[in-house]
Amino acid sequence: MPGPLIESLARQGITRRTFLKYCATLASMMALPPSAGRAMAEAMAAARRPSVIWLPFQECTGCTESITRSHSPTIEGMIFDMISLDYQETLMAAAGHQAEAARLDAMQDNAGKYLLIVDGSVPLGLDGAYSCIGGRSNVEMLKEAAQGAAAIVAVGTCAAFGGIPKANPNPTGAVPVSDIVKDRPIVNIPGCPPIPVVMTGVLAHYLTFGSLPELDDKGRPKAFFGETIHDRCYRRPFYDRGKFAKTFDDEGARNGWCLFELGCKGPVTHNACATAKWNGGTSWPVESGHGCLGCSEPDFWDAGGFYKALSVPADPLRIAGVAAAAGAAVGVGLSFANRAKKGAAKKAHQPVTLADLEKS
Amino acid sequence: MSLDAIPIHVVNPTPGESALTGNAPPLLRELAEQVRRLLETGEPSAIDLSALPLTPADLDWLRDRLGSGEIAVTLQANGESTLNETACPGVWWVTHHNEQGAVTSQFIEVAFVPELVKAHPQDVAIGLEQLELSLSGL
Repeated sequence: MPGPLIESLARQGITRRTFLKYCATLASMMALPPSAGRAMAEAMAAARRPSVIWLPFQECTGCTESITRSHSPTIEGMIFDMISLDYQETLMAAAGHQAEAARLDAMQDNAGKYLLIVDGSVPLGLDGAYSCIGGRSNVEMLKEAAQGAAAIVAVGTCAAFGGIPKANPNPTGAVPVSDIVKDRPIVNIPGCPPIPVVMTGVLAHYLTFGSLPELDDKGRPKAFFGETIHDRCYRRPFYDRGKFAKTFDDEGARNGWCLFELGCKGPVTHNACATAKWNGGTSWPVESGHGCLGCSEPDFWDAGGFYKALSVPADPLRIAGVAAAAGAAVGVGLSFANRAKKGAAKKAHQPVTLADLEKS
Repeated sequence: MSLDAIPIHVVNPTPGESALTGNAPPLLRELAEQVRRLLETGEPSAIDLSALPLTPADLDWLRDRLGSGEIAVTLQANGESTLNETACPGVWWVTHHNEQGAVTSQFIEVAFVPELVKAHPQDVAIGLEQLELSLSGL
């Protein structure tokens, strides 16, 4: 669909004012000055659509589900009109050799200029044989595609940090994109799945300013990952007053008190759930009564048990290896695996480095 | 099944507890400066309220101080937006809602007319085409 974005939006019944309003809110969420909203609207409305190649590796397609089904129809989804999505296995009509040909064509025609989006981790075990597309390993395809990319966007925790495929014992030798590509700018947009507006926000920033947004030490856009869930949680006043739910069915839980003691990882998790929310702004995990799992942090799957309370809330989640879920969470009536299994699992695990963060 | 059947209710802090943070008064000074700039150079500006640590009490305090003016604009675009002039002409309280009615962003704009209210020349041109089309059928 050629022509400026504003025209293709108009064809879909999105008015200029709707778009301006969307840009104002987007700029606000990205902590840009209010005047940036109008600049973004102007730049994006007239933007020439960059070619985007989206490579899926060891993933579950949840990231694609998140962005395409967030709450349809959304402007977030329609923002995809501002890019030329030349290869996306789940969404493209072509299949087989035609699909691979489309990818190669896009790479050749836009060499050095295309955006490469990756979701899923990359397995290195058995020379990458655990995950192949058209008979070629993920690692081989990634290296090839990265060469001509202007920048790489690692979408989802798997691509950003390895995610669930990398969870102990990591049978496929899964690694994040940043372990393989070293000479291209990489933006990590972790989350399992990531928030749709964070994905489109990064694309909007790239189109508007021609550059990637400012990143934190883990390669995440500061605009969305600058604060912790805990910092912006509406239940924070209960934490400050020491009012905690002790089980999922006690008075505290019914009153909507802080879920810290039920294992909420909000204090060490950087993400925008508390402000951007989910399902079109309906709710988010803590609002629905469950603690944060920390899905946008590295190795969240091995961070020592979703229902174990953190003991040092202010520290960043610094997990080098794998923490064993050594005990049941305080006061939670969960049925854990039997003791023999637990002992074996514990032995197989690497040294616990999160232990100092946790209640024993 | 009604929502009452779910035995979980959020208890919000009682009114007395969500006191003023003291972050609102400096905003009035900033606004005064912005209005002065609007008068002298015609340059519009805005304050993003969702980016600041303001409690509901702070926002109420601000709204009280600014009062309400003569013009209230309602915009229906992917949810309702209200652009209300305050008692101080040129200062507008702008609230954007999504389709579910939740506030997505909130600004205080300093402008003779907020940008969102003005019609864009390209849109006016499209409107003119349609007008001429219906004229040709007469």
